[in-house]
Amino acid sequence: MSSDKSTQNVDTDLLKRLYAFVRPYRWYVLLAVALTLSASFMGTVRPKLTQMAIDEHIANNDYDGLVWIVLLLVGTLISEFVLLVANTYLTRWFGQGTLYSLRNRVFEKIQSMNVQFFDKNPIGKLITRTTSDIEALNDLLSHGVVNLVGDLFRIVFILYFMFSMSWELSLVVLATLPILFYATFLFRAKVRVAFLNVRDQIARVNSFVQEHINGIDIVQLFGREEKQREHFEKRNRDHRDAYIDTIFYFAIFWPTVEVIASVAMALVIWYGGGRALMGGVTFGVLVAFIQYARQFFHPIRGLSEKFNTLQSALASSERIFHLLDLENEIPEPEHPKTIKHPRGAIEFKNVWFRYVEEEDYVLKDISFEVVPGENIAIVGATGAGKTTIINLLNRFYDIDEGSILLDGVDIRDLTIRELRSNFALVLQDNVLFTGTIHENISLGNTDISREEIVECAKKVEAHRFIKKLPGAYDYRLKERGKSLSMGQRQLISFVRAMVYDPGVLILDEATSSVDSETEAIVNKAYRKMMEGRTSIVIAHRLSTVQGADKILVMHKGKIRETGTHSELMQREDGIYRKLYELQYKEQLAGENATASSSEQKTVETSEENI
Amino acid sequence: MRLQTLITLNRYFKKYLWTIIAGTFFLTAANFFLVWIPVFIRRTMDEISALGSQVDQSYDSLFTVLFSSEAGVVLARNAGFLLVAVALYGLLLFATRQTLIVSSRKIEYDIRNELFDKLVRLPQRFYSQRDTGDIYIRATEDVVRVREYFGPAFMYTINTFTRFGFIITMMLIVSPQLTLWALLPLPFLSAFAYYISGYIYSHSRKIQQQYSRIAGRAKEAFSSIRLVKSYNREAYEQSRFEEESDQYRRKKLRLDMVESLFHPMLNLLIGMSVIIVIWKGGQMVIGGNLTVGNIAEFVIYVAYLTWPVASLGYTVNRFQRSLASWNRIERILNEPIEIKDEDKTDHEIEGIKGNIEFNSVSFKYPDDDTYALRDINFKINAGEKVAIVGRTGSGKTTLTRLIPRLFDPQEGAIYIDGIDLKEIPLGVLRKEIGYVPQDTFLFSDTISENIAFGAQEADMDDIEEAAEKAQVRDNILEFEKKFETILGERGITLSGGQKQRTAIARALIRDPKILILDDSLSAVDTKTEDAILQHLYEDLKNRTTLMISHRISTIKDADQIHYMEEGRIVESGTHEELLSKQGRYYEMYNKQLIEKELAEI
Repeated sequence: MSSDKSTQNVDTDLLKRLYAFVRPYRWYVLLAVALTLSASFMGTVRPKLTQMAIDEHIANNDYDGLVWIVLLLVGTLISEFVLLVANTYLTRWFGQGTLYSLRNRVFEKIQSMNVQFFDKNPIGKLITRTTSDIEALNDLLSHGVVNLVGDLFRIVFILYFMFSMSWELSLVVLATLPILFYATFLFRAKVRVAFLNVRDQIARVNSFVQEHINGIDIVQLFGREEKQREHFEKRNRDHRDAYIDTIFYFAIFWPTVEVIASVAMALVIWYGGGRALMGGVTFGVLVAFIQYARQFFHPIRGLSEKFNTLQSALASSERIFHLLDLENEIPEPEHPKTIKHPRGAIEFKNVWFRYVEEEDYVLKDISFEVVPGENIAIVGATGAGKTTIINLLNRFYDIDEGSILLDGVDIRDLTIRELRSNFALVLQDNVLFTGTIHENISLGNTDISREEIVECAKKVEAHRFIKKLPGAYDYRLKERGKSLSMGQRQLISFVRAMVYDPGVLILDEATSSVDSETEAIVNKAYRKMMEGRTSIVIAHRLSTVQGADKILVMHKGKIRETGTHSELMQREDGIYRKLYELQYKEQLAGENATASSSEQKTVETSEENI
Repeated sequence: MRLQTLITLNRYFKKYLWTIIAGTFFLTAANFFLVWIPVFIRRTMDEISALGSQVDQSYDSLFTVLFSSEAGVVLARNAGFLLVAVALYGLLLFATRQTLIVSSRKIEYDIRNELFDKLVRLPQRFYSQRDTGDIYIRATEDVVRVREYFGPAFMYTINTFTRFGFIITMMLIVSPQLTLWALLPLPFLSAFAYYISGYIYSHSRKIQQQYSRIAGRAKEAFSSIRLVKSYNREAYEQSRFEEESDQYRRKKLRLDMVESLFHPMLNLLIGMSVIIVIWKGGQMVIGGNLTVGNIAEFVIYVAYLTWPVASLGYTVNRFQRSLASWNRIERILNEPIEIKDEDKTDHEIEGIKGNIEFNSVSFKYPDDDTYALRDINFKINAGEKVAIVGRTGSGKTTLTRLIPRLFDPQEGAIYIDGIDLKEIPLGVLRKEIGYVPQDTFLFSDTISENIAFGAQEADMDDIEEAAEKAQVRDNILEFEKKFETILGERGITLSGGQKQRTAIARALIRDPKILILDDSLSAVDTKTEDAILQHLYEDLKNRTTLMISHRISTIKDADQIHYMEEGRIVESGTHEELLSKQGRYYEMYNKQLIEKELAEI
């Protein structure tokens, strides 16, 4: 019992929170309820009017009166139509409005979450929150509630008209109700389980098909056509049988409902017929009751359907509100400081950090300094903690101990916006979006002019290939820029970093498969970008590192060596030297080998972040 | 063409012909009994009317009326008949659904199986010509739509016609004139339903597209979250999302507007019919041509016609859609399977040794203008290790795909042990080849199922052994469920290197005569790679190995190295020979040396 109560509380709580999103439309909701009320009346009054037509006019051979009643009937019919249309549209309108703001709110919330959140939650799940979970509320918000009220009104009106005509006959009709309730109840329970099963089976069949289309060459190469077909047949059979189960329930339910409704009619005829002989009930009443008996079952069935809608909507809203309740773990400072003249000096002071509490520290007591204008390279084996440094500097995560200073100010005392505006980041995977080249470079920042973009593009020699594209800077990229080559995508993300003209340039070196010509261009672009800027490069290719002012060699979460390339090479047993020798083997195989080794690194860094 | 489509579609009925005939009969009978309900209601009212005018004083207690009078018998008889009709109607309706709809699901099952069977047998040519998403939709959504032809569309059509037939007959018997009046609004209802369901369908697709756009936006923003955050572009992304979200709301509202017309319109037209019956019928009652019972009867008839008439428009629409879907499915079913065993296949061949010969082979992908392979000639003796190097797009992968006949070349021929590839039974050929593709594809199944994918008779020891050879056994044993660990969406995700090694195990377990490694060690670290190669080189000496790789360490011990460029083999030889040739391979090697020297300065 107590658990029932607590779920009850949770449900009312969820409804209250949902209401907060409906609240801006509350007057429209009231209007919709009023419209429904009128429509329900117009709909249910007609059998009553029919009764009057028969008893008062047809029975008395009063044709003129009949015409009057008929006109009245037409009037109510048309007004019901108008009211219903207006009401349906109105409810859908504010329903969509509510969903719209809810969807945007969810997106906003997810986007505001810290990066750790994205490590923990697969993208697919987050997309579900912004799309299908919201859609699941559609039925409830766009017609559920108002129709529910409408159904209740209808029932009340019908009962009123029935009782006002003949209470005895009303009771006779109502006698069939318990059977209907019971049948509906049984049916709902069964069908719900059956439908859950159907949904599972559909997913199973579809994912099997999808997988086998994608892996068709494997199926054929390994001669599994026959076997996989058997597997498919089994799933297909389960899918079919799941449906056949639901067919059975429907095959019982719908006829049962029809039969019960007709039994009610039979009772009306039998009992009402008897009453009619005694003069207590007129023919008009009988005709009206036959209509009411049919009408009456409709909203009752509707009510039970709506109860289901409500249930699934609550499940979705629970997930949505759970998400909205999450706390963002990167707090903004209460009294933010500002840097008046950003220079780009960075200092890590005894920084300790780990991604997951139970695990080992990824960074152990890291200290280093970057003087404005300096080019720093960070090298190290996979998992040494190089990328983590970028993550911490951007405050994608907060450090556990120590401090990070930007121009002498602890980065936790800056607003996140100000902090990040000091950096321009070039990521390994050269992220591009669907949209024009221009948008991809400016990221929608209208302060950045076309001239600036062209200028920067010329500097890194991206202009040459961009101008050849149809529409040049207005060329629309599809599917994250798949139509461009790896090297071209890289150059675009360089231009992006350049136009933002940051104090500090942070490069997670993208070592993707490019031909040697592009590689030369890319390397040149690197140097162009770093000119006169503080830069931190996470280097995968040691060839890029050699010009750096300072190389930090990371190993197992610690900085083990610091110095220039030639200094570090002189250490006989130095880690840098060993790394160099290790890389040398890979370098032999040329540009493609570095591509594959970087792939490997991506895989493992993402593992490290989880 | 339409008729032809219909004929091919209707052959699926054949298997369930008797069930469907029975179902049709049940439905017809159900409607036959249905029309008796209003008839008995009218009779009751007419008889009461007659009784009432005969004697009007003797009925003083309801009990007497119902249970011990002449009237009671009349009432009970009519109500009883009514109940029998209702019960039969209900029973037959149940039988109808259990036959017609169940058959449609069985037909759907048959079509799905047939289509899947076709899909697994269709050659790669087919898949290279089409978008996989498109094929997926054929195999899922289109089948669902075709099912509707056999299920709801068929049932509603029979229902509409039989019910219509019986009801109209009854109505005409009572009064042709009133029938005409009552039916007046119904054609509008049908036309309207047709229009609306068409609109809803086409517009729903637009909404579906917009829905995908929302999901796409979210996906882009979430998967690039670091970039978005570091450039402080959250607000911009938010506005882009809201724009799509707003589009969605607008499109959805437009659909809602049309949809919101449907039920009210249905209500309006049917309400019109009822009112006309009361008006015209009333007039006739006053004129003495009809009874009030007839009005009651007609009111019910009209109600009974509502759904069949509305569903007529809807059914026509469904029907068109089903046919369109079937057309698309049929196109797949009619696709030729050009790579298969044919007359010249020599079924005596039960195994191969592993000599491979390419003789002037040229190949281009379907719908492509340029050749992917041009005049390829080489010979590999059984047991040799051969490496292919070259830039991305030079045709290396394409070359290896011709050996298991994923594609057949347009020109030239490939021989295995001196026999034309096309004479070797496809099953035998593929059984002898262990292929490790570039993009590792594993199925959402257990690891052991994945490894034993091409070796159905393999036991656990074989699986473990293969895993050991591929250097992935230790990783697998670290998982809680070991070899029974499920991969994929419902299970765990392997790292790139683990995936590749599992795929290698999958190839090795077949104990193939020819092993093809298409850049299959790229995500494996060098140490593990060395260990794997050790195994391949040492205890698999009698295997022909063909490997594509970018690491010179991997290939330099090969018996033969072919350097490819733009679909041609431009250099061949051993590592030393190629170096001494001072050609492209030498150039590539040398470039690395220079880089190394430069780096050492």
